Amino acid sequence: MEIATEEMPGGITRVILAGSMDIAGAAAVDLKMNVIAGAHKTVLVDLRQVSFIGSMGLSALVAPARAIMRRGGKMVLFGPNEMVAHVLKTSAIDTVIPVYNDLETAVAALQ
Amino acid sequence: MTQLGACMAMETEYGRVPGQGIDRIVLRGALSETFPLSEWVQSLAARYCIDDQLQFAIHLCLEEVVSNIIRHGYAPDTAEPVTIEFSRPLEGQLVFTIEDFAPPFNPLLAPEMPLIDTAGEPAIGGRGIRLLRAFAHTLEHERTAAGNRLRIGFTDSRTQVPEP
Repeated sequence: MEIATEEMPGGITRVILAGSMDIAGAAAVDLKMNVIAGAHKTVLVDLRQVSFIGSMGLSALVAPARAIMRRGGKMVLFGPNEMVAHVLKTSAIDTVIPVYNDLETAVAALQ
Repeated sequence: MTQLGACMAMETEYGRVPGQGIDRIVLRGALSETFPLSEWVQSLAARYCIDDQLQFAIHLCLEEVVSNIIRHGYAPDTAEPVTIEFSRPLEGQLVFTIEDFAPPFNPLLAPEMPLIDTAGEPAIGGRGIRLLRAFAHTLEHERTAAGNRLRIGFTDSRTQVPEP
């Protein structure tokens, strides 16, 4: 599991995740996600290269989202593949962290 | 080469490791022990031509069940095993039988955890049972003398069988 960040216009931090967010993958990014959440208030998590996600991977998204929301910030998810989107919907993550398939819409939601 | 032949040619080393056969895997009671699960499912998918979506569902269900046993059923860092056996009782039927030595727990009867916690914030955990029920095609639980036996079934109309 790989994680990278880049700054986008408008003060948005883009977190690019790549790989399988299974138990091992979640453990690999969990701490880094929380560090990012502690340092940024407007975060776009790019899931386009995430091939799998389980409940441990979901927890690695929800915990930082909570931290950002507590500080008055926003986090959105962008570009999940069909099965990852199915997991997000089934687990109702999409009701607490907005999910977008279009980058422009995702960015607009953060501004 | 037939499609089945092509699939079997992609089989990984799991099919050749004693005790960790293509149809059986034994995991010990620590989350780090679950890491080979993904590769094992990939091996099965390659051998039996399981498509990507079904492979995803199988991986998801097995990971949720095994992590639940290890985190909630077993004492920390126990040596107790979790055994998963794969079988195909009928063409197109894929069955995973998971056996543990944990206290009785039937995921079919367990209540789903709330998605919002008492503070009104998104709950961090508690989504595994919900995912298992949604992605498994069939679920059967039975209590054993020492623990639990859970059968997770999937139907795959595309699964290949050997040509006569």
